[in-house]
Amino acid sequence: MAFFLDTLFGSLTPMCVTALVTLAITLIFKTSFTTNFAQGVVSAFGAYFVATMLTKWGYSIWLSVPAGMLVSMLMAIVIDVGIFRRGRYVNALGKQIITMGLISIIVGATPLVYGIATPLFKPFIDGVKTFEVAGGSVAFTWNSIFCAGITAIVIVLIFVLLKYSKWGLSVRATASNEYVAGMMGINTHIVTALSWGIAGALGALAASINASSGTTINIYFMTNYQVYAFLAGILGGFSTFHGPVIAALMIPLANNLISYLVNVANRPDLTGWSMVFVYVIALVIIFFKPQGIFGKKIAKKV
Amino acid sequence: MNKRLSEKYTLLGSNPKTKNNLLEGVKSFAKSPSIHFLLFGLIIVLIAYLAVEKTFPNIIPYSWASALSVTMAYSVASIGFCLLMGYSGLASLGTGGFIGIGTYAVYYIINVSGLSLWLAILVAIAVAIIIGAIVGFISLRIEGIYLVILTLGLSEILRNLYVVIEDSIKIKNFEFVGFLFKRQHAIYIVMGLLVIVMIITHNIINSPTGRAMLAMKNSTAAAQAMGISLIKYRLLAFIICTVYAALSGVLLMVTLRSARASEGTGFYALITSLNILAAVIIGGYKSIWGAIFGTFVLYGLKTTILSNIDFLSDELMVFISGILVIVIVMFYPGGLAQLIGGLKYKIKKFALKLREAKYGKDLG
Repeated sequence: MAFFLDTLFGSLTPMCVTALVTLAITLIFKTSFTTNFAQGVVSAFGAYFVATMLTKWGYSIWLSVPAGMLVSMLMAIVIDVGIFRRGRYVNALGKQIITMGLISIIVGATPLVYGIATPLFKPFIDGVKTFEVAGGSVAFTWNSIFCAGITAIVIVLIFVLLKYSKWGLSVRATASNEYVAGMMGINTHIVTALSWGIAGALGALAASINASSGTTINIYFMTNYQVYAFLAGILGGFSTFHGPVIAALMIPLANNLISYLVNVANRPDLTGWSMVFVYVIALVIIFFKPQGIFGKKIAKKV
Repeated sequence: MNKRLSEKYTLLGSNPKTKNNLLEGVKSFAKSPSIHFLLFGLIIVLIAYLAVEKTFPNIIPYSWASALSVTMAYSVASIGFCLLMGYSGLASLGTGGFIGIGTYAVYYIINVSGLSLWLAILVAIAVAIIIGAIVGFISLRIEGIYLVILTLGLSEILRNLYVVIEDSIKIKNFEFVGFLFKRQHAIYIVMGLLVIVMIITHNIINSPTGRAMLAMKNSTAAAQAMGISLIKYRLLAFIICTVYAALSGVLLMVTLRSARASEGTGFYALITSLNILAAVIIGGYKSIWGAIFGTFVLYGLKTTILSNIDFLSDELMVFISGILVIVIVMFYPGGLAQLIGGLKYKIKKFALKLREAKYGKDLG
């Protein structure tokens, strides 16, 4: 029991990070119709800024993180306005390659902007809480609880906005058909740019949460979560907003649960295989439900 | 035939009245693409030879040999991807994982079992066929961007498997066709295989198989109506792509001699798959030469040419290559092949104009 709870608390931070990144990627996918491979490095760029403010300039973390989010947001908006708006008629694969070119640009720019030293980060809230349950003691950091709270608030806020606000309505309209949405008087340029901006900010928040849990920052440190996010996107189905996020919560949880089961079965040699199992399960589900778990089947005209 | 016309023909160098059959034969022989591929292979091998052997005054820097070798090894994967994307209209991000098949085949066959490279190549091909067939079957159910992400997932499965099985692999010098192959000699194996791959690919593209793939790319429904079996050609496309990627892995291992699976920027990572995709797009996704050239831009340009320019740091080079990729995708959707093709057309037009200015318009 104790170990099970430990596993659960241990997967809190990865769950938060994956959910935020997935929401960001879904937003961009729905409004710009491309998978943004640069999401990870844009987030990491924001995390670098946060870390620089935090350790070099000595600001508090409560000021640094919003500032980092703003930096990533501006960066994403610049990417959309400067590149994607002009590349409207590039085909789907071409758009992906553009985001891949962006990776190179940001990876090259980061050391030029921030220097080559690995930046240091610190948790939002210090402190470890230990409590006793049947079978042993369970430890968790307050930081992970705080991050989970922030993530929940942000995700709920965005879903409420998507469902009830005018912005949400225009995003949904753009997602379903950009051309017709434009004809109906929606400024799709602003909708797209804002979605990119929000995605950038979410990415920076996710990167900050990831870094605050003790992960070393480097420019590629969000790439793993980005891969999870893509998988979560098709596992949950890109046709809805909530599907990918729910799937995103499931992937790290499944990973840690499998590690837990491996430990219960006393087979430590299998620990490394947990991610393989998760991927295989996910692929099997996708194979039988190509639209994703929550997806709707869309009929296509020949 | 009047005088002016005959004069024109001689100028163009193809007088139909020529009786010299031998010359014509040589000309048509020289025009065959296989000869171009062979010549290309010989030129690269010559450059690498000059770089490695240093018997000449040092015209070509030593680093070129390994840079060219790596580029040409990746080119094999690019050519497979070119066939998959440009001719079958499918896309995948599994290249990184598929490359691993080759590297591990080499490691286990040569280093662990001490057998020859031939067997390693055969094993790599056999495993690649199985995995390519799996992806091909999946592609029947799932399409478009979903398929791309799914292959990415498959590649991640393979990468995780590699980490679990044997994270860091290394091979020593080995004997092949009677020679002891050191690191700097890898280019000879690489070019040999690359030329064979180029010739095979060119023939596939121009055979009924290639035509069927092209039909499938333009419209699956129309292709099916014309009696083209989707399952057959999709499987074939993915199998070829996977086999080429595995061969590229074999060559990379022969060239670089070591690999680490857990590394974020290693062979098997997402970045490799993206680079191969980008190489094909930059070069022009319907041309073998384009694929090789695009790979060179991404993998070889840095070591061979840009590193001689002093003010370019490594970071700046990555930055510039990113800008280059975006500019090419946005303004030259056909890639560098289109750019060069366009240039050729302009030169031809210019030459025609010159002739017209000299001899007057062709009225016939």
